[in-house]
Amino acid sequence: MRRTRQISNASYGMLLSIPGLVLLLAWVLLPLIYVIGLSFYRYDNMSPVVFAGFDNYKRVLSNPDFPRILQRTFVFSFGSTGLTLVTSVLLAACLGRIGKGSALFRSLVVMPWAVPLILSGFLWAWMFHPSFGPISDLLMRSGIRKTALNIYEDPISSMLGVIIADAWRRIPFLTIITLAAFQAILEELYDAARVDGADSIDSFIHITLPLSSRPIMIGTLITLMFTFRSIDVIYSMTPGGGYTKSTYVIGTYLFDSLYEFLNFGVAAAISVILVLLTFIIGSVFIYYTLQKR
Amino acid sequence: MKVRDLLLKVIDHPATPYVVLGVISLFMVSPFIWMVLSAFKTLPETFMSPPTYFPKDFTLETMRFTWFEAPIPTYLKNSLIACLTATVIIVVASVFTAYALSQYPYQGSNLILGLFLFTRTIPPLAMLLPYYLIMRKLGLLNTRLAVILYLIYLSYPLVVWLLKGFFDAFPRDLIDAAIVDGCTRTGTIFRVVLPITAGSVGAISVVAFLWAWNEFFAPYLFIHYDELKPITVGLYYFVGDEVTYWNRMCAAGIYAVVPSLTFFLLAQKYIIKGLTEGALKY
Repeated sequence: MRRTRQISNASYGMLLSIPGLVLLLAWVLLPLIYVIGLSFYRYDNMSPVVFAGFDNYKRVLSNPDFPRILQRTFVFSFGSTGLTLVTSVLLAACLGRIGKGSALFRSLVVMPWAVPLILSGFLWAWMFHPSFGPISDLLMRSGIRKTALNIYEDPISSMLGVIIADAWRRIPFLTIITLAAFQAILEELYDAARVDGADSIDSFIHITLPLSSRPIMIGTLITLMFTFRSIDVIYSMTPGGGYTKSTYVIGTYLFDSLYEFLNFGVAAAISVILVLLTFIIGSVFIYYTLQKR
Repeated sequence: MKVRDLLLKVIDHPATPYVVLGVISLFMVSPFIWMVLSAFKTLPETFMSPPTYFPKDFTLETMRFTWFEAPIPTYLKNSLIACLTATVIIVVASVFTAYALSQYPYQGSNLILGLFLFTRTIPPLAMLLPYYLIMRKLGLLNTRLAVILYLIYLSYPLVVWLLKGFFDAFPRDLIDAAIVDGCTRTGTIFRVVLPITAGSVGAISVVAFLWAWNEFFAPYLFIHYDELKPITVGLYYFVGDEVTYWNRMCAAGIYAVVPSLTFFLLAQKYIIKGLTEGALKY
């Protein structure tokens, strides 16, 4: 009845994963090795390509703007992730508590997910426009501000603007993850806590948060990695890095070296630096993901 | 203690979640509202200060113009072709790998799993350069194939990982039962596993599709012919040197969002299920 097993389960698994592995090797790892190799060459489309050792890295790291670029990258990334996290937890907590209308609210809240980041940048740029956009107008009408809000001439608010626009697009993902984590907690735990005299603040701090921390942590790390390297919103909302380059981040620097200055060697070095920096966040992510409960 | 009591009163009030949700939902949908309202304004009206909220001279001209006289249908077609092709290739290749990693572990499979996880952390932005140069060497710049090949890289590791987590939740007994009944291991995949998991595999495909649909920088770099650009790059058509045609941009934005939003809302239930099972429970 059972067909004879010519190959063991392990060999079968190996055989079955070959197409995927070929794709992984040829399509992800080889380009990575290629870009690491490139970073050691002078490759600027003007002179012949020659081996240059660490010259590209020296050039990037000794760029007087580099510390500020790095700092802005972190402000943007942590700002956007922080806003996303707070909003998501708030949303998930509220979505879990309501019965009627929860499907409707959930659909409304996750809608931005389907919007390309580049378009979300354009839309928010228009909404934040000092004279033609609704945000400045509403702030003035409600009396919160006396003068128009010009996010493009103030470095702090232009950073705030791109953070809001970026977080807007990222909230749905983390909300869904958080909601799922909240809903996986058994109702009996809350009942027991209530019997013991815990109020809703106690329950939230001592039951909800600890028991859902791992999925939320993983979701937050994914969001952090994404914000760290994504420049779509920044690129479309504040072209060229904005006023006084206040939103010029490492991703912008990379794309400019590649697209504006056609200096592939330098672009490769920035790519490798970006990979290494992301990997710091990434290794925490990998650690949490592989850790057994 | 008084502050806490007051806080509790607010938190426990049945209306509170509705108020919070109402406010945040308004924030989440406001760009959509602004986009739709602006698409029906005339160009001069989009440059009024203070801005109008409801279109004063309601016009369908912009929607007509962007569809019939700007290359929006071509952009959409390009996006659809590239994204569908890439998604199909990714999902077909990933299903077997993910299934093997989940149900038939072998020596080194954990290492491979870690490798997939690692590749998820590689910034796509950092891979633009090697892909650009590879495409240039292969003479593939300004072809759809270049974009498709990049899109495959973009979501491939994620899809494998999500699918793997998803197959982990599949009851092993069902697979064993099918094998006892005389089904081959490969037959089990097609006759038992895939039919049951179709919903979630579909949801993960939609996630991969959306990811591809939203990609901007690679096609921006690889494609310079208008007739091959996808919709995200096509949006730049309305950014002029002197003036940005905001009403047209918004109309184009509506066309860009309708396909992905439809896909998304249709598959929403499965996406949430597939994502939470695949991303978190392993």
